[in-house]
Amino acid sequence: MDSIVVTGLGIVSALGTGVEATVEHLLAGQSGIGKIKYLDTRHCSLPVGEVPMDDGQMRELLGISSEKAITRTSLMGRIALREAVMQAQLCSRPSRKVSLVSGTTVGGMEKSERFYHDFLQNNERNEYIALHDCGACTDMIAHEFPGMFDFQTTISTACSSAANAVILGANLLHTGRADVVVAGGSECLSKFHLDGFHTLMILDEAPCKPFDKNRNGLNLGEGAAYIVMELAENAEKRGVTPLCRLSGYANRCDAFHQTASSPEGEGAYRSMMAALECAKLQPSEISYINAHGTGTPNNDESEGKAMMRVFGTNVPPVSSTKAFTGHTTSAGGGVENVISILALTRDFIPANLNFSEKIESLNFVPVLKVQSHVQLQHVLTNSFGFGGNDSSCIFSKIQSV
Amino acid sequence: MEQLVEELKKEIIEVLNLEDMKPEDIDENAPLFGEGLGLDSIDALELIVLMEKNYGIKLQNANEGKEIFKSVRVMAEYIKEHRTK
Amino acid sequence: MSIYIQSFSHISTQEPLNDQWFDAPHVLSERFNPCVEPDYRNWMPPMETRRMGKLLKRAVTVSLDALQKGQCEMPDAIISGTGLGCVENTEKFLNALLDNNEECLPPTPFMQSTHNTIGSQIALKLHCHGYNCTYSHRGASFDHSLLDAFMQMQLHQIHTALVGGFDEMTPDYFNMLGKIGYWRKMELSVCDLRCQGHSGSISGSTAATFLLSDQRLANTMCEVKAVEMFYGQDFSRISAYVNQILKNNGLTTNDIDAVVMGLSGDDANDAVYHRLTASVFQDIPVLWYKHLFGESFCSSAFGLAVAAECLSHQRIPTGLLYSPDSGKTEKKPCNILVYNHFNSIDHSLILVTA
Repeated sequence: MDSIVVTGLGIVSALGTGVEATVEHLLAGQSGIGKIKYLDTRHCSLPVGEVPMDDGQMRELLGISSEKAITRTSLMGRIALREAVMQAQLCSRPSRKVSLVSGTTVGGMEKSERFYHDFLQNNERNEYIALHDCGACTDMIAHEFPGMFDFQTTISTACSSAANAVILGANLLHTGRADVVVAGGSECLSKFHLDGFHTLMILDEAPCKPFDKNRNGLNLGEGAAYIVMELAENAEKRGVTPLCRLSGYANRCDAFHQTASSPEGEGAYRSMMAALECAKLQPSEISYINAHGTGTPNNDESEGKAMMRVFGTNVPPVSSTKAFTGHTTSAGGGVENVISILALTRDFIPANLNFSEKIESLNFVPVLKVQSHVQLQHVLTNSFGFGGNDSSCIFSKIQSV
Repeated sequence: MEQLVEELKKEIIEVLNLEDMKPEDIDENAPLFGEGLGLDSIDALELIVLMEKNYGIKLQNANEGKEIFKSVRVMAEYIKEHRTK
Repeated sequence: MSIYIQSFSHISTQEPLNDQWFDAPHVLSERFNPCVEPDYRNWMPPMETRRMGKLLKRAVTVSLDALQKGQCEMPDAIISGTGLGCVENTEKFLNALLDNNEECLPPTPFMQSTHNTIGSQIALKLHCHGYNCTYSHRGASFDHSLLDAFMQMQLHQIHTALVGGFDEMTPDYFNMLGKIGYWRKMELSVCDLRCQGHSGSISGSTAATFLLSDQRLANTMCEVKAVEMFYGQDFSRISAYVNQILKNNGLTTNDIDAVVMGLSGDDANDAVYHRLTASVFQDIPVLWYKHLFGESFCSSAFGLAVAAECLSHQRIPTGLLYSPDSGKTEKKPCNILVYNHFNSIDHSLILVTA
């Protein structure tokens, strides 16, 4: 099949706005996790990775008036979308059939939970009723570029949503239904899912420790990230320089439990193996794995075991960047795809922060300090969602061996 | 104590939505998890919420529940000793 | 290349798990229409269903039924559409959160509230490790699930798939949507959904699933020849897509035996459909389904079901005709177009043949 290339990246997270802010933090080993500043919750002592802007600041950045009803998820989405579209020069060098595939699960819930009593009892906040659902968020994000998209859709598979957006995007390109696809996701913090994760007892009350023996859980984060994908010949026709290739991808299901992963990481194993097969790569060719690595006792051991099943005794360098950004749930696949592509194209491996002791059952330790000037050829990134929705993507250098 | 055991059985049936069961169907000495009633990790979390909501006992993590939720009787004894409500 | 519908199953406002609605439909007369529930104990033991909200029970049941009817043990993929997810569980958790000031919250409804809980519950029941995805894009959620399956079969990535649309309506959500004009204000006894000059429709809940395959088998219901989905408000694009889809398949509008549309009784929604029947779909019998199944974000699944059943039975019952005096329905149907839109901006066009 024809080669798919990535021609634009956009991101906003706890590490700040844009690709350069993200790289700066990753190279400096500087986490964006801290105290809750914007979400109005009684669990305000929990460490989170909030985007360091309130809604008003994001509106200002985007030039959106304070009167317009818009959700925080959509605001973040627009910021990231703008950067990706600009880098890919989609305005100055347009393409015919452009699709937007965006992942979210929270959608407008951050507003709905605030206005719920109004929704039921009066007519003060009716304009937010229609903004609650996932599709409405995507539509609102797409409105950053009116008339640009002739197809848009929303994927909602929890923490693998944005990765699945890339997978659908690949098929839209391969079947000729789109010439360019912008794929990723956006998710803001909400009391709904903060409290939900809290009641599942999988949040760490301290900064998370992915792959550490004494890890206690995850820190939630928020953010948005998109990549612009197109067939190599379309990028050439438009006169844009590709950043890298999307060489492999896969979606499999763990089918074990609604919230826990199987002990031997069956879904994770299958998705990594299928992504390698799709990319026509051997496990030994993977230079770096950006793990799902949430910091929960369950995920990290399960994912680690799955990696051992795939890579044997030669697990490549692994790090989870969730100690930098927090677990951005439905945006996670997008945020981590962008981070993986930055690592690949700028030759560095981000650190796995807060690690002290190896998990006993695993045969590897993650990368502890950022590694610069490393020649990466193929990067694998994992996104595993509740319900066992496991997805993996592989990005490769344009001229890779 | 027997009253607490009965009360607990009713609460367990309600909170875990064991629709077709009555209190007399639950053996207070039988294991709740694994065999016996065959409950799972989500049920354990629901029971942790029940402990806090009805008896004011706050467990710090899910692992603490393993010993306490061995059976209805073991649960009742723990509640009797530690309840604040 | 085509894909094939092997079976269809539903739990809805009509008699569940059968095609009684085809010849003996119950025409809806209320604004809020609950589902007719089967006995779930025939499908799953109580220890399994105790945690599931109604939508999950419906989703798993129709999936098991469709697999049984389609004689398939394990699909390669499970792709689900849902506009709102599990509203019942979402409300439970949200109300607890607000009433108890974020303390002592029950984990089960949270866990069962995420949109992909539907698809993953089906996978859990079947132990299916294959591709699993959930689309939540308002009135196009089911349609995009179908598109995903279609493309994967086109690219030979899968051979079989369960593709479904699942949405439920609760009294609270019904009231909220009522505030923003979703429902008819007047009772249907005064004037039915075909009366123009009204806004709003009537509600229903949907659990509808198709077993699809990339091969025609002995019990195949019909063939899905083409699927086109697009976004935009330009009306001329719709006719352009219709002409394209027909041309690509060697057909003209004369070959189309019926067109199934998501007419709902809401003027703004129905305007696009009426414009099409006055232009590119002129003289083609129009079939509709929302008078039987109500409006929900995934009700377009019933549009495809209408087409599939007509082609499978090789006749068009008068109860599905939007205008009962359409003459051309004696002929055995061969080609049916299914057209659906949401808010005049998300469009879906499906060509189905016998």
